[in-house]
Amino acid sequence: MTSLAKEKKTVTAAHATGMQKLAINFKKYWQIYLLLIPALVWYLLFAYYPMAGLQLAFKTYKAKIGIWGSPWCGFQNFEAVFRDMYFWRSVGRTLLINVGRLVINFPAPILVALMLNELRVGRYKKVMQTVFTFPHFLSWVVVASIMTNLLSIDGLVNSALSAAGIPTINFLGSEKIFQPMLYITDIWKSAGYSSIIYLSAISGIDQDQYEAAEIDGATRWQRIWSVTLPNILPTISVLFIMTTGNLMTAGFDQIFNLSNAATKNVAEVLDMYIYRITFTASTDFGFSTAVSLFRSIINMTLLVIANKGSKMMGGTGLFG
Amino acid sequence: MASKAHYKKDKFELMDWILIIILTLGMLCILIPFFNVIAISFTSYKEYMQSTWVIWPKEPTLAAYQELFKDNRILVGYKTTLCYLLVGLPLNLLLCSTLAYALCRKGWMGRHLIFMLILFTMIFNGGIVPLYLVMKSFNLTNTIWSIIFAQGMNTFNMILIYNYFCSLPEALMESANLDGADEWTILFRIVLPLSKPILATVVLFVAVQLWNEYFMSMIFLRSNDWQSLQQVLRSIVMDSQVVDTASTMVDVGEKNFTDAIKMAAVMATMIPVMCVYPFLQKYFTKGIMIGAIKA
Repeated sequence: MTSLAKEKKTVTAAHATGMQKLAINFKKYWQIYLLLIPALVWYLLFAYYPMAGLQLAFKTYKAKIGIWGSPWCGFQNFEAVFRDMYFWRSVGRTLLINVGRLVINFPAPILVALMLNELRVGRYKKVMQTVFTFPHFLSWVVVASIMTNLLSIDGLVNSALSAAGIPTINFLGSEKIFQPMLYITDIWKSAGYSSIIYLSAISGIDQDQYEAAEIDGATRWQRIWSVTLPNILPTISVLFIMTTGNLMTAGFDQIFNLSNAATKNVAEVLDMYIYRITFTASTDFGFSTAVSLFRSIINMTLLVIANKGSKMMGGTGLFG
Repeated sequence: MASKAHYKKDKFELMDWILIIILTLGMLCILIPFFNVIAISFTSYKEYMQSTWVIWPKEPTLAAYQELFKDNRILVGYKTTLCYLLVGLPLNLLLCSTLAYALCRKGWMGRHLIFMLILFTMIFNGGIVPLYLVMKSFNLTNTIWSIIFAQGMNTFNMILIYNYFCSLPEALMESANLDGADEWTILFRIVLPLSKPILATVVLFVAVQLWNEYFMSMIFLRSNDWQSLQQVLRSIVMDSQVVDTASTMVDVGEKNFTDAIKMAAVMATMIPVMCVYPFLQKYFTKGIMIGAIKA
């Protein structure tokens, strides 16, 4: 009996010191709490409040009563989404395009970095890097306008082709070559910028390794193959895993700006599908939110797996 | 680059020439489209009619630019995008650096929890649909505030700044604290001036992001008073394309002339980036390396 009372007493005492601790802590660090407020308000309003809006995926949206008042409808929206043929088609398109990106666009900056590193004319190399990196800073609207100008039927490339007696090609208006065009324009825009990471990894390689290779009589190819590449392999694998984490995101800006009426069938990736059903047609926000939520969950899962993978490969992962 | 020292001894061999040729070709692939844009934007439509094969116009003219700036849209675009930069950039920096600083100071309760909650937003977000509804419920759609607030914070940049702040010696802040300095005095007088390299990088990243802001503007801004520059560019390029395909009644001369206006619009959007780019190059190289070390 007495021991019980004692226990109670110690519990309340511990509790009191806990509260006291908080009060002392708050008194000591109130300035820091004050500095936190603006950013935290931002996260609440523009990150967590929209997240709460995802409940709409399980509701029938009524504009008059808003998100919170709309009635629940269980998994009805998801059933409708999964019955929609266009949804599955867009998921398939997204995966198809992104697997192609992994095969074609992922190695491109590695090649650029290796070539730039092997280039032995210092000043010229700098000029090249400046040029290669620049397109990254342009928006896809600008790049798509430049490409449309260059590749249209009466553009420079087709003028050159017809001058050489080769039949002209409708580069941007054909479903068949739409996907290759995505890869080419993507390389044009970002291979140079992405190569900076690899170049910095290469510059960190220990010189002794190259000297040892040279003493062993290694040729230039052998030096690239057995010194440079193995040394940047950790960087490559971390970036590869990170890219697989984005398998469900297919670059809306690029596809939206490069596609047109002629290619809209092959251009409808998941993001384009979400855009079309939400912002161009008469909208069922419940349905759109269900697609959105599906996409967010898949993305999160992929990222978490990618992060685990990168840690297993010896990288630090996305979050240090 | 240090790693090249050992090659210097070798003689210039065939492979070097092949490399130079491949890389030069690659460089031309990037440069020629730009020259083509510049050339067409200065071409008079008479000349363009004779041949679309324009390397450089014989009689350069500013007609397309005059026509472009007669159109009110491009001015609206400049106004909107400049507002993004003037308001959005300082806001973004303020929010990022205050948060990064607070997270860097240890001892206060809830630090770990808040860190986790912030990192969570990097892997999971509501997506554009709920964000649109939220903006609408705040009555922010069709005002630039929707874009400025939506772009008000960037967790990745915040972490870059956080890492930099944390790498500064802690004794610096502690001793200032003992001298009775307020936390904001420490942040603004001591920490920020010491963090110029990372701030320059983040300013560059955010400025480019705001200058190129397109997707959210397209969704949030649907009035003619506020349109981002990229939106305007797209509407100019697309509108004239619609004319191209939809009506064959427009005579060829006029159609080709719109090509010049389109390219003038591309130039108007691109030139500011082109002008700033060479000066900022060293910062983004530094920035991406900091990012790479992080990732």
